[in-house]
Amino acid sequence: MAGNGEIKEDGGKGVKDMVMERIKSIKDIPPEENMLPGTPACAGCGGLLALRHCMKALGRKIVIVNAAGCFTLLTIYPYTPFKNSWLYTAMACAPAGAQGIRDALDILIKKGRLDPEEDLKVVVLTGDGSAYDMSLSSTSGAINRNLDFYYICYDNESYGNTGVQWSGATPFASKTGTTPPGRICPIGSELAKKDLFAIWNSHKPPYLATISPAHPVDLINKFKKAEQYKGPKLFIALSPCPPGWGIDSSYTVKLAKLAVDTGVWALKEAVFGVVTHTVVPKRFKQVEEYLQVQGRFAHLFKPVRQEAALNKIQEEVNEYWNRHKLLL
Amino acid sequence: MYRLRFHGRGGQGARVASKVLGTAAFLDGYYAQDFPLYGAERRGAPVAASTRISEDPIMERGVISAPDIVIVMDETLLQDPLTMPVSGIKQGGIVLINTAHSPEEAKVEYKITAQVLTLDITKIGLDMLGTPILSTLAGGVAARIVGLSEDSLRDAVKKILSEIITDKRLLDKNVAAALYCFNAITPAKIELKTTDTIKKKSTVISVPFEPATVSSPAINATGNTPLRMTGNWRVFRPDWNYDSCTRCMICVARCPDGCILVNEDGYPYTDYDNCKGCLICVEECPTNSLGKVREVHTKKVIGK
Amino acid sequence: MRKEMLTGNAAAAWGVRLAEVDYIPVYPITPQTEIIETLAKWISDGVMDSRYVTMDSEHSMLTAAGSASATGARAFTATSSQGLLYGFEMLYAVAGWRVPLVMVNVSRGLSSPITLEPDHNDVLAARDTGFLQIHCETCQEVLDSILMAYRLAEDERVLLPIIVNLDGFYLSFTREPVAVPDVEQVRNFLPLYQPKHAFFKASQPMAQSAAVLGGSSYSYFKYQMHMASQNALAVYKEVCDEFETGFGRNYDTIEGYMLDGAEYVLIMTNSFSTLGKAAVNNARERGIKAGLLRLRLVRPFPVADLKAAISRKKAVAVIDQNISIGKGGILHSEIASCLYNEKHRPLLLSFIAGLGGKNISPDEFEFIINKIVTGVDTEDAGTAQLIYTDKEWQEMGRLKRMAGKG
Repeated sequence: MAGNGEIKEDGGKGVKDMVMERIKSIKDIPPEENMLPGTPACAGCGGLLALRHCMKALGRKIVIVNAAGCFTLLTIYPYTPFKNSWLYTAMACAPAGAQGIRDALDILIKKGRLDPEEDLKVVVLTGDGSAYDMSLSSTSGAINRNLDFYYICYDNESYGNTGVQWSGATPFASKTGTTPPGRICPIGSELAKKDLFAIWNSHKPPYLATISPAHPVDLINKFKKAEQYKGPKLFIALSPCPPGWGIDSSYTVKLAKLAVDTGVWALKEAVFGVVTHTVVPKRFKQVEEYLQVQGRFAHLFKPVRQEAALNKIQEEVNEYWNRHKLLL
Repeated sequence: MYRLRFHGRGGQGARVASKVLGTAAFLDGYYAQDFPLYGAERRGAPVAASTRISEDPIMERGVISAPDIVIVMDETLLQDPLTMPVSGIKQGGIVLINTAHSPEEAKVEYKITAQVLTLDITKIGLDMLGTPILSTLAGGVAARIVGLSEDSLRDAVKKILSEIITDKRLLDKNVAAALYCFNAITPAKIELKTTDTIKKKSTVISVPFEPATVSSPAINATGNTPLRMTGNWRVFRPDWNYDSCTRCMICVARCPDGCILVNEDGYPYTDYDNCKGCLICVEECPTNSLGKVREVHTKKVIGK
Repeated sequence: MRKEMLTGNAAAAWGVRLAEVDYIPVYPITPQTEIIETLAKWISDGVMDSRYVTMDSEHSMLTAAGSASATGARAFTATSSQGLLYGFEMLYAVAGWRVPLVMVNVSRGLSSPITLEPDHNDVLAARDTGFLQIHCETCQEVLDSILMAYRLAEDERVLLPIIVNLDGFYLSFTREPVAVPDVEQVRNFLPLYQPKHAFFKASQPMAQSAAVLGGSSYSYFKYQMHMASQNALAVYKEVCDEFETGFGRNYDTIEGYMLDGAEYVLIMTNSFSTLGKAAVNNARERGIKAGLLRLRLVRPFPVADLKAAISRKKAVAVIDQNISIGKGGILHSEIASCLYNEKHRPLLLSFIAGLGGKNISPDEFEFIINKIVTGVDTEDAGTAQLIYTDKEWQEMGRLKRMAGKG
């Protein structure tokens, strides 16, 4: 079984969390797998790859509070890929579920009804449909209450679990089931992707970061850094989705890299509101390189090249990096 | 009435195959009904679809529990205890399996008592379309088995696909592939000896109460998804060439499912029981130490 | 034990305080808010050791209460009307987690048109969720029911959440004498919540509320909830007995008022039952053998007790303070279904009254009772009747004219 380097169970109570230093290369990624294979996630799921690394960083003394989305189906009775606890809530309220668990653990420990050794980190897991749209209210509430929790959003830029429809995270000019390019609207979705990072950052949480499944070292170090803060620790992972993005399952990592290298997905973090970019490409690739390999943008190239839309996408990326004075 | 059940994996085209067949039957003047059943939109997960074809109005709905014909689009499903694609097949009914095996081999291998036909539809799909999406091909096979006309099949493929894809060339390739499959098999005669199914009759019981420690939808087991053996999903398998492997660990870091393990000497290897065959490792390996080969599933491969 | 003048809301707060609840996620809504304000003050003053948090919606509030209960804390929350409906998705969800939290619903009519005063469309909308439901007539009953609710919900044969219902305004803001038990006495009755089926801890990972694919698994889990709810009928009687032993007050699934020897029975729930009892007294004075049955336990539905109480009566009138649009009174349907197969069954009449807190006057009760008597004489139950007077119609006409409706 996929258990090389597994932590030995010692009958429960003394399950040790890994102690991690900041890592330098892929070789330093902890070998322990805290999420086992056999999940129903699609072959090549970018979100699952991101989550796998998040789980390595978080260790096993966690409880995941899951919102409705693709990862609802990670645990289908009687199977779970996890060695840690999990609770499925509903689409709008995973942060509220986290609140209840965090508070209950605190009370039970305080009242002496739970051994402090039994304490868990509380981790919300949602897709972008939940994070960007339906659970904005409950997330804002949890951040505002300074809830001590982690939040991982696997952002595949659509309602993926229902078969790829437009969400607040869907980028401009993307084809989805509810934004089909046609004669009246040849570019697909006409709205811009919400800036969830900025929305969350307006609450000035202790720690907030964007991550990428293609940058596991950056990802793990961000979790490591976040660990020192009590309060909300929030992560958004741009997660290439083979069926949703119209890419071969083997292209997931390639696309995740291209998103960073073209400047479409800025890898950054914010500590109490102050933003720093963690990975800045030395030379930005043209955004077209990222777009043209994806089925969801194919209509921008064929049958008619949608020049205005393509320019707009590139300009917005340029504008972002100019604003941050990082466009070399 | 003919009752057909298609079994495939999400993304493979079982749903569309049932629609192609339903439409072709409709165009031939029959009463027809088609219906997909899938757990959730997930590539690789088992999917079933049903088509009913009749000269009289159809008074049935939902999943076909006692099919006359079963089309197994993914051979690995025959070993999936949750899917059981041939369950309920009538004696004398037909099971068509997408496999490189001969009918005789498959009949023995999978212990099927009904008639078995085989065709390597995946190979035809890869050769003629360049992808293992088998919807129109399976529809073509099924149309032949139930005796529908070639013209109606052609029109049905055109109609159904034009709703999904805009690429005219791909559509034409699908028509050609469907017709190729239509003509590639010699249909057996459906000789239903009895209307009884092979399945045992079940009895309605009074469900006993169980306390919430047992009867809440909570899982007390941990890390047991490997039992699901998602290695069954693969169409292609990653194939190792250790001569050039530098043990750089990139493949290990890139596998979404954590299916690349490391042996005592520090060499990575694939957990084929669970590897879904996404081939990110092949794409990402900087030394080309990984290639891809077409998966031909037999019991020997499944389970190392 | 001491007696105090308390509103229904204050009595609810006392129940929560005496149950030594660990966790209280809240969200304000009229007419429930006094409960959570009272609890907030007690916690702030240090007389209650609970964690209290104002959430961002009832949906979140129910989720937090459920997840805390699933972690092993005793949880309480309260809502009303629109709030109950806003959290509706989570009623089903947390009941499915099999967590024994207790929620007070202070009944209020549902929008549109939006209103403040009570009827029972809110709480009855939740009747299929898996929550048990106890409906209260008095402020005393509110306090007592919360204690009994925790005891019942946390019983291993049950393990389902419970709604304790009281009427907005007529109970929530109405003060009357309430006996407040001592906490030691309550501790004897209500042991610590230590669930074996619900916890989150490092040594014993658990995946709660996994998805199921396919109807067989789904049917199993749902039907187990149904059987647990059915178990609650017997467990409830045990709880009632022990409560009576401990506190001297007797409760049952139903309450009969002048039921012995009654030929004509009114069936009601909640605070307006008091008015019904007065109407029974009036009828008796007129020589009519009337009685009243108050439904206290609405889920699980006390079928056997109802049958035993009314199947041999001449006629029963169900006064529904709710309306299922397109069908009529909700409880009328439910009661009819449990009498249908009885060899002896009463004539069953249906009245809709008290919608949106509309008073039911003695005249109106007299109308209802006369209808029952006539119904028996003519062997005709008639159709469902909205209790609405000529004066109200005239007044409504005036309002419509002012609204420019001609």
